[in-house]
Amino acid sequence: MGIDAAHYHPWKTNPGGKLGGPLLGAWRGVAAVVRTTLLQLMRRKAYWAIYAVGISQFVVYWVVIYALTQLQLPSGTQRGMLNTFGFSIEAADPQDTGYLDFMEQQSYVVMIMLAFCGSLVVGSDFREGTLPFYLSRRLERRHYILGKLIALVGLIWLFTVLPALILFLEYGMFTTSTDYWRANWRVVPSILGYGTILGVVLALWLAAISAYLQKLAPIAVVWSSLFVLLGRLGFMLSRETGIREWVLLDPWKDLRLAGRLCFGQFRTAGDAQLSATAAWILICVSLVALLALIRRVRAVEVSA
Amino acid sequence: MEPLVDIRDVSFAYGAVRALTNVSLRLEPGTVGIVGNNGAGKSTLLRILLGLLHPTSGGGTVLGCDVRQSSSQLRGLVGYMPEAHAVVPLLKGVEFVALSGDLYGMPKRDARRRAHEVLNYVGLGELRYRRLDEYSTGNLQRLKLAAALVHDPKLLLLDEPTNGLDPAGRTAMLRTIEDLIAATGKSVILCTHLLADIERICKQVVVMHQGTVARAGTLDALRQHTASRYALRWQGPREPFVAALQAAQVSLDFPPEHAAVPSTEQHALAVVPTGWHTAQFFELAGRSEAVVVELRPEQEDLEQLFFRVTHGN
Repeated sequence: MGIDAAHYHPWKTNPGGKLGGPLLGAWRGVAAVVRTTLLQLMRRKAYWAIYAVGISQFVVYWVVIYALTQLQLPSGTQRGMLNTFGFSIEAADPQDTGYLDFMEQQSYVVMIMLAFCGSLVVGSDFREGTLPFYLSRRLERRHYILGKLIALVGLIWLFTVLPALILFLEYGMFTTSTDYWRANWRVVPSILGYGTILGVVLALWLAAISAYLQKLAPIAVVWSSLFVLLGRLGFMLSRETGIREWVLLDPWKDLRLAGRLCFGQFRTAGDAQLSATAAWILICVSLVALLALIRRVRAVEVSA
Repeated sequence: MEPLVDIRDVSFAYGAVRALTNVSLRLEPGTVGIVGNNGAGKSTLLRILLGLLHPTSGGGTVLGCDVRQSSSQLRGLVGYMPEAHAVVPLLKGVEFVALSGDLYGMPKRDARRRAHEVLNYVGLGELRYRRLDEYSTGNLQRLKLAAALVHDPKLLLLDEPTNGLDPAGRTAMLRTIEDLIAATGKSVILCTHLLADIERICKQVVVMHQGTVARAGTLDALRQHTASRYALRWQGPREPFVAALQAAQVSLDFPPEHAAVPSTEQHALAVVPTGWHTAQFFELAGRSEAVVVELRPEQEDLEQLFFRVTHGN
C-alpha cells in the first residue's frame, strides 16, 4: 500500500525509536551537527581541490614507501632513499624529516583550508540565522559548540593525523617483522598528541573568528594575518630587541614547539626552554577563544 | 485539562531594557495567536515558552514542563518554525528535515523516514532532493514547517509563517495549518503581524503591548467585551435624543459626514455603560420624539480590537 501523502500521519516509532533522554538526545544532536558540517564541506568542489593538494605529499610518501619495501632493499638503504624524498620513518629524526615535520608541512595546507571553510562551517550559522534553528531543537549551546569543534578537529586530522598514522602503519606492514612498530610505538601517541593540539587550537580559534566575522573575505584576512603577520612581527621584535621570547608571538611557532613537546624532539636547547611557555600561550589564547565563542553564541540565542 | 501555557509574573530584561514585565498567562490547548507591535515582547515571550530564554523572574509551565528547569524536555514536545531564513547551506530538502529530526533526538532511521512523510504532507515531496538554495520563499516556509513537524510535536510555535509569501502562497500555507489543526488537534501558537491570519486560524488571542499582556482570552470573549458598541440610526429631532443618551452615560461617535450632509435620518456609534439594556434606546427615543430605525451591535474585527487595546481607542 502506498503512502497517503495528502494526510498527516503521526510518528509511528520503531521499537526503541522514541526521542532519546537528555543524554542520548544530546549525543544524537552533536553527531548530527558533526555529520552535517562535514557534509556541507564535502559539497564544495573547492574543498576537494584543496584536499587533493593537501594529500599529494602523503601520496608521494606512500608510493615511495611501498616501492622501497617491495624492492626488499636493506633497511638502511630504504631509510636513506626515503630521506632523499624528504621523509624519515624514524621516531626521533635529527634531520627534521620525521612524522612531526610531515605533520607540520601538512598543517600549512590545513591553515589555507580552514581560512576557506570558516565562513561556511561556522559563519553561515550566524549570517543566515541557522543558529536559532539548531538551538530551538533539543541542543544546548555547549552541544552546538562541541559538534562544530569535533567536525573541525576531524577535518584537521584528515590532513595531518590520519596520513601520518597510515604512513607509520604502512612501513611496519610492508617490512618482514613487527620490529619497526615495536621499536617506534611512541610515534603513535606523539602523532595523536600533536594532532590534538593542532586540532583543538586551530578549531577553537577558527570558530571564534568565524562567529564574529562570518564572511569569507574578513575571515581569510584575519586568519592569514594571525599566522603570517604575527610571525613576522615576532621575528622582527626578537631580532631588534634580542629577546628571544618575542618569537612566541607567532602562533605557528607556538604550535610547532608544542608539537615538539609531544615528540620530545627539539632543534635547539632554546626551543626546549620555550616550549612550555608556548604551550601555555596556546592554552590561554584558546580559552579566550572559547569564552568569546560562548559569548557570541549566547548573544545570537538572545537576539535572533 | 492541563493548560497549554500557565506562566505567572514572568519578567525578562535584556540588560537594562525590560522586554517583559510581570506577564501572567493561562492558555488552554488549541490555537493561540500572539499579536503586538514591534518591541511589544512577542518574540521574547515565544523564546521563553520554548525554553530558549529563562525568565529574570517568575515562572510557569508549558505542556506541564517547567520553563526554567526542563528546556530540553520541553523542546522535545514543541515544534518551532523560526521567522529567520534559518536554513543550512548546501543541504537538500530531505536532509534538512532529517537534520531537524536528529537535533530533536530522533533515531537516525526514523528521522529520515519521517522527513519523507512530512515533506509529502506539506507538498514538497517532488522537491525533496533539491538543494535549499533552489527553493522559493514559499517552499522554504513549507520546508521549515516540515522541519517543525518532523518529531510529531504536541505544540507548534509558528513565528510569522506567512512572512514574504504571495497571496496564493499565504492561502496555501494557512490551509495547510488549518488542515493540520483539524486533522491532529495539535495546539498551535501563531505569532504574526498579519491579524487576518490570526482571525482565520486562532480561537485564543494574546495582545502584547509594551512588554505586558494587554488582553488575553478567546476571540469570541474579547469581542463580547466590545458588545457595548452599537450602530444606531434614527429619524426625528437630533438634539433632544442625543442629550438624553448623553445624560444616560452613553457616548456617541458621529461619522465625519454627519455635520456636512443635512438629513432627517441620523446615525452614530453608541458606546453604552455597564448594565445597559437595548430597550433603553427605544425608551429614550420615545421621550425625545425620535424613532429608532436601526440598532445593531457593532462587530469589532481583530484589527479594531488590536488598535483599541494598544492605542486606547
